[in-house]
Amino acid sequence: MESTTSWSHPGNRFHRFLALILMCFLCFGSYFCYDTPGALADNFKSDSHLNTSQFALLYSIYSWPNVVLCFIGGLLIDRCFGVRLGTIIYMSILFVGAVVFAFGVYIDKFWLMILGRFIFGIGGESLQVAVNNYVVLWFKGKELNMVFGLQLSFSRFGSTVNFWVMEPIYRWVANYYGGYERLGVTLFVASLTCLGSLICGLILGWMDYRAERILDRPENNANDPPFRLVDVLNFKPVFWLVSVICVAYYLAIFPFIALGKLFFERKFDFNPQDANTVNSMVYLLSAALSPFFGILIDKTGRNVTWVILSIVTTIGSHFLLAFTFVNPYVGVISLGISYSLLASGLWPLVAMIVPENQLGTAYGICQAVQNLGLATVIILAGVIVDKYGYLMLEMFFLGCLFIALIAAVLIYIIDSANSGVLNLSPSAREGLKT
Amino acid sequence: MHPHVITKIYRILIVVFISSSVHGQNRKITSSLNPGCGECSNSSTLVYIRALGAQDTIHQIWDFTKHLPTVILVVGSINSSLSIQWDRTVPTNFAWSELPLYSFATVIDSLYEYDDLDDSGSFDPRRPYKEYRFTRTSWALEDIVLTDKEVMVQMHGHINNDGLNGVVFIKFDLFPFKDYAAELPHLIHTANSTQVDVSLERLPVSREYNASRFAVHLVLASSEDPASTLHYVMRKSLDDEHTPGVFEIIEIKTPSLFDGQDGGYLQFRPIGYTARERNVGSSTMAHVSSFNRTSLPQRSTVATFYKKQMLLVQDMVVSFGDSGDGFYRQHNYTAWSFTMGYGTPPVESFSVFVVAVITAGLTVPALLALSGVAVVLRRRWARDTLPTRLTNED
Repeated sequence: MESTTSWSHPGNRFHRFLALILMCFLCFGSYFCYDTPGALADNFKSDSHLNTSQFALLYSIYSWPNVVLCFIGGLLIDRCFGVRLGTIIYMSILFVGAVVFAFGVYIDKFWLMILGRFIFGIGGESLQVAVNNYVVLWFKGKELNMVFGLQLSFSRFGSTVNFWVMEPIYRWVANYYGGYERLGVTLFVASLTCLGSLICGLILGWMDYRAERILDRPENNANDPPFRLVDVLNFKPVFWLVSVICVAYYLAIFPFIALGKLFFERKFDFNPQDANTVNSMVYLLSAALSPFFGILIDKTGRNVTWVILSIVTTIGSHFLLAFTFVNPYVGVISLGISYSLLASGLWPLVAMIVPENQLGTAYGICQAVQNLGLATVIILAGVIVDKYGYLMLEMFFLGCLFIALIAAVLIYIIDSANSGVLNLSPSAREGLKT
Repeated sequence: MHPHVITKIYRILIVVFISSSVHGQNRKITSSLNPGCGECSNSSTLVYIRALGAQDTIHQIWDFTKHLPTVILVVGSINSSLSIQWDRTVPTNFAWSELPLYSFATVIDSLYEYDDLDDSGSFDPRRPYKEYRFTRTSWALEDIVLTDKEVMVQMHGHINNDGLNGVVFIKFDLFPFKDYAAELPHLIHTANSTQVDVSLERLPVSREYNASRFAVHLVLASSEDPASTLHYVMRKSLDDEHTPGVFEIIEIKTPSLFDGQDGGYLQFRPIGYTARERNVGSSTMAHVSSFNRTSLPQRSTVATFYKKQMLLVQDMVVSFGDSGDGFYRQHNYTAWSFTMGYGTPPVESFSVFVVAVITAGLTVPALLALSGVAVVLRRRWARDTLPTRLTNED
């Protein structure tokens, strides 16, 4: 494959690089628009007169349906759409949702805002599943870990960028519009990122179509029997352990960041702005470091060892934040490093465990259980803080991480007992293939 | 259910833990209302508590008879005793069987209403403020408990002073053992301390102030060198388990305590509440002013108690609020709790649950790592001893 030197040939490195950029931007729009209410929280309260629970509904209407929807979304990719059409469909749904939401704000109708967020949610998480499939399709056996790490953290980075730019955009729009209209127009502007992502999706689809033709890539489910829902039950135990990590590990990251700002203010006497800066370190670091960790894992293999290592360092970081007054930058930076290491090591595991024609469903399941965990725990974490304080919340996060650690060690044991490929070096994996 | 279980575990642990420590010791308490007063009716309230310990006796006098809510804490020998002489319903003399070893008193003598022009929450004497003294406030008894397990009085007073017409609730509470208070901010009480709750309800704000907040004025007196000073100490703790979201504890220490001996103290969290329902959402900041030298309030029970004795007397103002919270009128309610005690201020400790999680957190990963190593070693051994199987596979 690498023998082809022409840059226009799909097997060329340049093509993969272009595809990588497109894949990164595919999810950028979705994460960007997901957090627009968060970035403009005060304006939502003052311009649209939303109370706290109405505001919270903007987020929960997104997450709760996704407990089921992204599983279905993944299944549909495997059974009906295929990855190209699936991506474009989910991307379009996402864009429509963002526009409907903006329109709802523009005419100040709360039910329309909620409807918009709901439509947005249908597309959002399923899109991530589709993109995961794309990544595996293009990079398996090559830079898979690096691409996964980069793609996942670049998406999260979308929400960080959103927090930076929405406020200036809002102020600029406020020169021309007033009241809830200026908020609506600001959201229309934000939805353009989804349009951008949709265009990326179309280009990527064309590239993929061309690559398939020229490289004569076998059709996904040409020879395999069609994938049925009951086949889910035949997924290997290792896959379910990976799902456990997907839930348990991320529970100790996202809710922590959601509640982190006040924690830094209260415990470390940070002013609100500094607290925000510390808090955003995790995503920032992961955007910067993921490609490098991905390359590291591509070179060294042994994904499970890296996953175990990153869970252990995450535990260390949470210990530091919970039980010391050491400057929280230390804890948060090591948290960010561990988090990006885990993302690069964990998600590619699924592609090594599950056959390619079931990947959509598999990633759908991971994403679905993760959503279920996050949706419930965000509420639970708030209750823990109110009743038992931040120390207890940290204990809860540590508990989740121990569960993740146990799951990771079990994967290691099961995999090595069955002479599996998960924890081998790349050369050993190559050796097994031939 | 969960908190109750935790509390029970605390109690068991604490009883075990405390019996060895001198200053957190349990005491045998006896209490009486208006002791020695023949003509007292419901209208006068003076509670006397005698708390007998292993080495000393702590006497506490909670007084409302001269309008200013007062707690006097007196340390004497085991056999020391107090008798009070009355003129109708007012105490005129406190006679000791022997000279007390130490005493410490707190008087809540007035409220301040201040115009918080820069919306910082804290009281600034350079800004406009009014003082409402309790000198004409009559206190009505709401609730009283006088048992050997708990002594408590709850009073309320209507403030009719320069147009103010609200209600101030004051509660004094003592338990003869160490524990966390049932209510937020879950301060630690010991047999040597009294918890004081103050709440200011529906106080009308002055029309000329746009940013009214209320502050509590305290006069603190101790039988120590008049030239010495009280000390403000803020401790930070890792553990906000008992007061969610609050990591600081403030202690006002008398000079002797600050120098490492036993002495009087106030202990509280820098937090007040803006609703009867106390939770994180209804909490607000409490700010402590610096200390000023002053004298005992005239015609007060402390003045009667101390007569001409040389004392350290200082006052301080505790104010409440946070910028942007809409000032007092937003909730028409402010409450604050502190403990006042003798000895070494109690230090909060990790709960059994936290300790259990930490222990599990350290041992489980260690065990996992060991088992992981064990599995790998076993496999290596198996590979070495069964080479044929592997070659067959290949």
